[in-house]
Amino acid sequence: MRRVMPVLLLSVVISFLAIACDRGPSAKSGGVASIKVVIADYSKDNTRPFWQALSAAYTKQTGVKVDLQVIDWNSIDQQVTTMIQNNQPPDVLNLNSFSSYAKDGLLNSSEDVLSPKTRDDFLAAFARGGEYQGKLYGFPILSSARAFFYNKSLFAKAKIAAPPKTWDEFVKTAQKITALGKGTIGYALPLGPEEAQAEWSIWMWNNGGDWKSGDQWAINSEKNLQTLKFLADLANTHKVTQVNPGKTNRTDGAFQLFKDGKVGMVMGFSPLAKQLDAEGKVDYGTKFLDLYYQPENITRWITAEGFLPVTKSGLDQMRSNPKLKPYLDALPNARLVPTTDPAWDKVKLDVQQNIGLAVQPGGNPKQVLDQLQKNATTAGGR
Amino acid sequence: MPGPRRTRRATDWQALLWLGPSLLLIGGVVLYPAARLVQASLSQYSVTGLYQGWVGLRNYARLLRQEALATVAMNTVVWVAVIVVVTVLISLALAQLLDRRFPGRRLVRWALIVPWAASLIMTSKLFVWIYDYYFGILNPVLQSLGVPAQPVDWLGDDSTVMGAMIAVGVFVSLPFTSYVLLAGLQTIPADVYEAARVDGASAWRTYRSVTLPLLRPALLVAAVLNIIYVFNSFPIVWTLNDRNPGFGHDTMITYMYKIAFKSSLRDVGLAAALGVVNVALILVAVIVYLRTVRWREAEA
Repeated sequence: MRRVMPVLLLSVVISFLAIACDRGPSAKSGGVASIKVVIADYSKDNTRPFWQALSAAYTKQTGVKVDLQVIDWNSIDQQVTTMIQNNQPPDVLNLNSFSSYAKDGLLNSSEDVLSPKTRDDFLAAFARGGEYQGKLYGFPILSSARAFFYNKSLFAKAKIAAPPKTWDEFVKTAQKITALGKGTIGYALPLGPEEAQAEWSIWMWNNGGDWKSGDQWAINSEKNLQTLKFLADLANTHKVTQVNPGKTNRTDGAFQLFKDGKVGMVMGFSPLAKQLDAEGKVDYGTKFLDLYYQPENITRWITAEGFLPVTKSGLDQMRSNPKLKPYLDALPNARLVPTTDPAWDKVKLDVQQNIGLAVQPGGNPKQVLDQLQKNATTAGGR
Repeated sequence: MPGPRRTRRATDWQALLWLGPSLLLIGGVVLYPAARLVQASLSQYSVTGLYQGWVGLRNYARLLRQEALATVAMNTVVWVAVIVVVTVLISLALAQLLDRRFPGRRLVRWALIVPWAASLIMTSKLFVWIYDYYFGILNPVLQSLGVPAQPVDWLGDDSTVMGAMIAVGVFVSLPFTSYVLLAGLQTIPADVYEAARVDGASAWRTYRSVTLPLLRPALLVAAVLNIIYVFNSFPIVWTLNDRNPGFGHDTMITYMYKIAFKSSLRDVGLAAALGVVNVALILVAVIVYLRTVRWREAEA
């Protein structure tokens, strides 16, 4: 069972900037007095100021007023659904899914609304993640790399020389850290509903499994079952995770514990690094910084939020920074969750709500995966 | 003679003028949304919220086939019944205390309002951190008192989540209930107590035979309003239960929200159907309750 441990970049989660088409592609060619722009809130400090400035610049250039709404992630699905239900869809929408919107005929494809230059600038891996039936509907705006974070002080205390490279080493490392006592946690595993699909993707891909095999959902494959059993064992057999990992969220759970210095290892992402740097409380390994897209303009925002670029030109611009090189080299090979399948929008929610049940005491990984697989197959059929 | 008729019409018109704003308000914020809810419950919506047509009662039929429904309904019964009963019992004692004269009474009365005045989300978040396994203060406090031997993950352990949520529910329901009962106590005239004293009734006897029967209207109001408030309470369950997967600790209200926006169902029509069912349920519950109470009154 020698498997490679994630030490650096594993997955990339992208957000889409989609264009709702109900008011027609004529939005650009005049006759429209204002456009409604709905943006997800990535952070209190940076998201709104950036988009406000961009909106002002757009209004100045085109004379079209921008009705900007910045909405937090917890309620954006609800609010967008309500807008569409009441036939008041946004013209520009920033969300983490797009294919069911494309399926419902709510989006314009890139051919109608993007210049070829911009279109060709997207990194191929990300552009593929925004395609529905051969056309680009979801335009990537930023990427975020998940990485393995470890607490250097705890590693030193437990006399661990280097981060683990295999799953066996991972368990041993986690055990040594847990053995330090005083509530120290080897690995913080967040499989609560907030963002379970991201944590699950990382482990699943790391073991060579995937969401789909070809066109078919493969959630309950042998490999995935092995992975979920491994995670359940971390919690229930080795007892190296925090209490009730299936009921721990990321932001107020796993990350909070890591920031408090109680945790040896966690799967983090770049904004966590920013927070850790700001607090300066935990000495951690795997630091990384940030950046982005249309060279000067948006780089400022991506830098502030702590994300990574999605375009070739953005990539080229950041490459000069040696600190970022490893992440950027990996970006074109990034792996994406199956956002292009409209069923994904339901599968994601299903995984968020249910995968945690598998790692609870007495949980049944096989049953949970079988149910997810069954639901995914039915969701695709509908 | 058109005179009187004109006058009457003018009166009707004037009445409407006075009633107009409130009628508009009721129409706009109660009747219209209710009609839209019923309409939505009879329609099919895609994941994105796009209207896909009329489906009649199919959403209701699908609702009954949801596996989680039984669990959620049972949770709701426990949630409402325990909170209302415990709240009323504690409030009876609190109201009695506040009815007495003692130094600092005004301060205590003010303090009691605080949980009511604070936003439910704030209170719930506060309790999330109080209950937290790693950062919460509840475990250290309990352990310093010697119970229990091991710290408890109050919001993660399936056996304690509901109890933890109910405790918060009681906490935020106490102020309103106590004040309703206190108001009731203050309407009881002093001479009936005097009569009881003259007849030589003990304190307990006086309470049972004089205070409680006279407090009945206030108790009724407190119970009915609490049943409605607690049944419809969203923030507490939503906030304290947000880390738990599945529907194991949801009530009808949070279940409805999850169906619409958070679960893999992601179905506004189905959620609307549950919304209609919820309104019907609470109406039935209140009517049954009132009937039962009146029936006993007639018997006595």
